[in-house]
Amino acid sequence: MSATGTCEFQPKDYKSDLKPIWCPGCGDFSVVQGIYRALAAIGRPPHEIAFVSGIGCSSRIPGYTTAYGFNSVHGRSLPIAQGIKLANPDLLVLAAGGDGDGFSIGGGHIAHLIRRNMDITYIVMDNQIYGLTKGQLSPTSQKGRVTCTSRYGSLENPVNPLLYVLAYGAGFVAQASPTDLVGMAATIEEAIRYPGFAFVNIQSPCVTYGEEAQQIKGLKAISETLASLGHNPADRLAAMDLAQHYGEKLHLGVFYRNPEPPPTYGDLVKERQTLLSKDALPKERILDLFIKK
Amino acid sequence: MATRGIDFASLSLMDALDLAILVEEEAQERYEEFAAQMDQHRTPDAARFFRFMAENESKHGLELSARRAQRFSDAPRLVSRAMIFDIEAPDYDAARAFMSPRRAMAAALASEVKAHAFFVAALPALKDAEVRSLFEELRDEEIEHQDLVKAELAKLPLDSGLSDEDFVDEPAPQ
Repeated sequence: MSATGTCEFQPKDYKSDLKPIWCPGCGDFSVVQGIYRALAAIGRPPHEIAFVSGIGCSSRIPGYTTAYGFNSVHGRSLPIAQGIKLANPDLLVLAAGGDGDGFSIGGGHIAHLIRRNMDITYIVMDNQIYGLTKGQLSPTSQKGRVTCTSRYGSLENPVNPLLYVLAYGAGFVAQASPTDLVGMAATIEEAIRYPGFAFVNIQSPCVTYGEEAQQIKGLKAISETLASLGHNPADRLAAMDLAQHYGEKLHLGVFYRNPEPPPTYGDLVKERQTLLSKDALPKERILDLFIKK
Repeated sequence: MATRGIDFASLSLMDALDLAILVEEEAQERYEEFAAQMDQHRTPDAARFFRFMAENESKHGLELSARRAQRFSDAPRLVSRAMIFDIEAPDYDAARAFMSPRRAMAAALASEVKAHAFFVAALPALKDAEVRSLFEELRDEEIEHQDLVKAELAKLPLDSGLSDEDFVDEPAPQ
């Protein structure tokens, strides 16, 4: 075999001993496998990775990896991930959660990580429902969807996660699904390698509260790869055009990758620190700053 | 069912054997995962069947490992798990809480059919005669595995015609 793919780490090296408690058949089982594979391809040891999540079924995911994990509070995975990255820029920082966690209670945080271009990969497992709390309407639920909190059908238009992040200027935007497992692992890997904020929306079916059309068979019927459409991921406007089909078509792959990634917030902080360090007081005289002369 | 970075045309016998071992290991682990999921969801009959399948996959994996060791000793493995996905392992979405033994067996049968299709599809690309012979052997074994599952299915009492979907409630208002 010519392509040996030998590397120091194997996917199993990122798998923890904790047994997932998701419902059998849940799409998140495939997502975690995709993450193991992407991390093995990147080749960073588990102790150099921090994985932060919010609350929800999918937010259990850090516990199923051997990376440092923080299953935090609802909607707050991104500010915590940001703090970790700033405190220790050498860590590879991943954040994950569901569509409710990311686009409802945590929706306000995404814009700020994007405008700062934090070097964090954000993976959203989008199942269009609040699964953990037994099937309430979520921000990405389709209009007309009947749930226990929308007995006569939802009156609201869903949030389009892809357009949302593209509009704020995210440098890397992609979509994946358990319908294409190898593609999903490759997309996550590419997102991690992108130097800046990277967003991957994964359409991960909820087998318990999801509708038939959102299960693997239904998703396969509407899926097509962006590569097969000849999409150029450097073309942001074309990406926004394709992203408008969210909910009707399942486009898989990279929507947008900034061909000239701007400096990350971490880079700018480091630059500022270097600039100011020549005038900085030594540590033992730091209190002088607070003494009136 | 998918592969990544495998050049079937230049596949050596050692790599082919390693690949076959990885396929069996992946299937064994998946069945063990399914059995654990069924235990967690109090579905003991399906759990028992998935353990039976895991043992079978383990047995086949060990047989292949013995052949590999005899022929190539402890030469380092050049292929990795990252190159295969769901060749013989049942798809994650095939499992369901409270699944009947019949449904569990149908999932296993579908994965044996899938594995057979993989070896059939790979054959035209193979150039090495020994590798081709191995793949033909593995292809035929998948038929035997299908027969094994069918034999288990035949032992089951007649189906009631009901599925777990028949017991799903409409969402209750909150």
